[in-house]
Amino acid sequence: MTKLFNSQETMVDDMVDGFVTAYPQVMRGQNDPRIVVRSTARKNPDQKVTVLIGNGSGHEPIAMGFVGQGLLDANVVGDVFAAPSADLILDGIREVNGAAGTLLLISQHSGDVINGRAAIMLAEDEKLNAKALLMYDDVASAPPERRQDRRGAPGTMFIYKILGAAAELGLDLDGLIALGENVRDRTVSLSAAISPGVSPLTGKPMFSLPEGEIFIGMGVHGEPGAGRMPHGPVDKLVEVIVEKLLLDRPIATGGRAAVIINGMGGTTMMELLTIWRETRLALSRRGITAIAPMIGSFVTTQEMGGFSISLLEPTQQMLDYWCAPSDSPAFPKISLLTQEAVS
Amino acid sequence: MSVTQDYFSRLLAVIGTRKDELNALDAALGDGDHGTTMLRGLTRAAAAAPGLGAKAFMRASGGAAGTLFGLVLVAIERHLGDGADLATELQLAETRIRELGQVTLGDKSMVDALAPAVAALGAGGNLTDAVAAAARGCLATQALEARRGRAQYVENKGLGHQDPGATSIVILFEVLREIQENQ
Repeated sequence: MTKLFNSQETMVDDMVDGFVTAYPQVMRGQNDPRIVVRSTARKNPDQKVTVLIGNGSGHEPIAMGFVGQGLLDANVVGDVFAAPSADLILDGIREVNGAAGTLLLISQHSGDVINGRAAIMLAEDEKLNAKALLMYDDVASAPPERRQDRRGAPGTMFIYKILGAAAELGLDLDGLIALGENVRDRTVSLSAAISPGVSPLTGKPMFSLPEGEIFIGMGVHGEPGAGRMPHGPVDKLVEVIVEKLLLDRPIATGGRAAVIINGMGGTTMMELLTIWRETRLALSRRGITAIAPMIGSFVTTQEMGGFSISLLEPTQQMLDYWCAPSDSPAFPKISLLTQEAVS
Repeated sequence: MSVTQDYFSRLLAVIGTRKDELNALDAALGDGDHGTTMLRGLTRAAAAAPGLGAKAFMRASGGAAGTLFGLVLVAIERHLGDGADLATELQLAETRIRELGQVTLGDKSMVDALAPAVAALGAGGNLTDAVAAAARGCLATQALEARRGRAQYVENKGLGHQDPGATSIVILFEVLREIQENQ
């Protein structure tokens, strides 16, 4: 499949160039052109903990698009589907670090973990106050008793936003880590794929899927999923996913779930809104109120067809941070839905 | 040319002549590009300003291997450039590599050459002792089954094949000894 780019060598840098020249909220870092930092309303890093993440390219708008006020202070941009190197992440930490410290968010994938944790070690050598938080939420990648081995999936967006808001309001580094762990432990995600994305590096589909079948539990790079089911009405598919999510981490009747419906690049808003509808109904049948939805394509894998559903059972504080105003190029406005609105 | 630049230049030259051998070792256990990856990183390291060689290596090599070998090169660069104690720096690198790679002695990895060399230095040995210890450890990886990385999925878990990462560690130490001897 043909894609639009100048060359494989420059595709990531061309993208970053387009990004920083399009949005006033962001600019290039001074330490390296692959670092995108917040430009507007920057706070003194001696007073505010700075929050950043590094990730591979090809998944936009995440996480570059979440740099801005009330969100991330920086994003370190890696090559296509490849974690940024430890030294580049270290440059990103140096870019934003101050006396209040820096929190590096790491979505759990092997390259990201090795490079991210190595960057923290090198930062410690320089006496920088920097710590890491590992993020994982994908129920398909390990059973509940090995929760800490799971992959990062779109539920990590709860952590970006909640910690970004909390940092903006002055929560300290240890407080942010405790809050982030608590959000992580209350979040579960599961995905379904109906068609592969095409790698810009190879021009080839990233996996193949038998006609009429759906993969459940596909990873963000097309890693094999947990199971298959036949293609059919979406309400059945969503019912299966919601059931698996709640089996993994139950929410009591009368409880609330904040919801992320994430498209993977090749799924339309028409489809995603239908999935939200079915998710809300599936939760409602179990006496759970769906609130504060984030619906759209945020963690993408090129034009992969599919979606994920993430559920967070929030504390009131988490919910307040999740719905707090923010200003970045790609994070949407989250509206808390009242009980009445969903009845 | 600074002593660290000299180190990276000589290392680049040696890895250049042994790239195909390292790739062949890796082909038996992984994706067959270890020599190429090392060469790519070292090409940039040798051209970098003093003190920035290991960093340039990490950036250009990429991936897990770039980081893990980069940590060894950080240790060597600190020793050569800043006069830091080699045994202490390498011990730190080894600890970090074990933690980051979730790898221990006997897993058929770079650690099987690195750990004996670090132990030899820690016991007061010189670089000749370290090279000998690394080489013994490297040779012993032939008889090991891989427990980490891609090699654990190949036939017989790589039994009978020497680990390419351990081989590179021996080369790193050999070139370091050569540099120290010439000083």
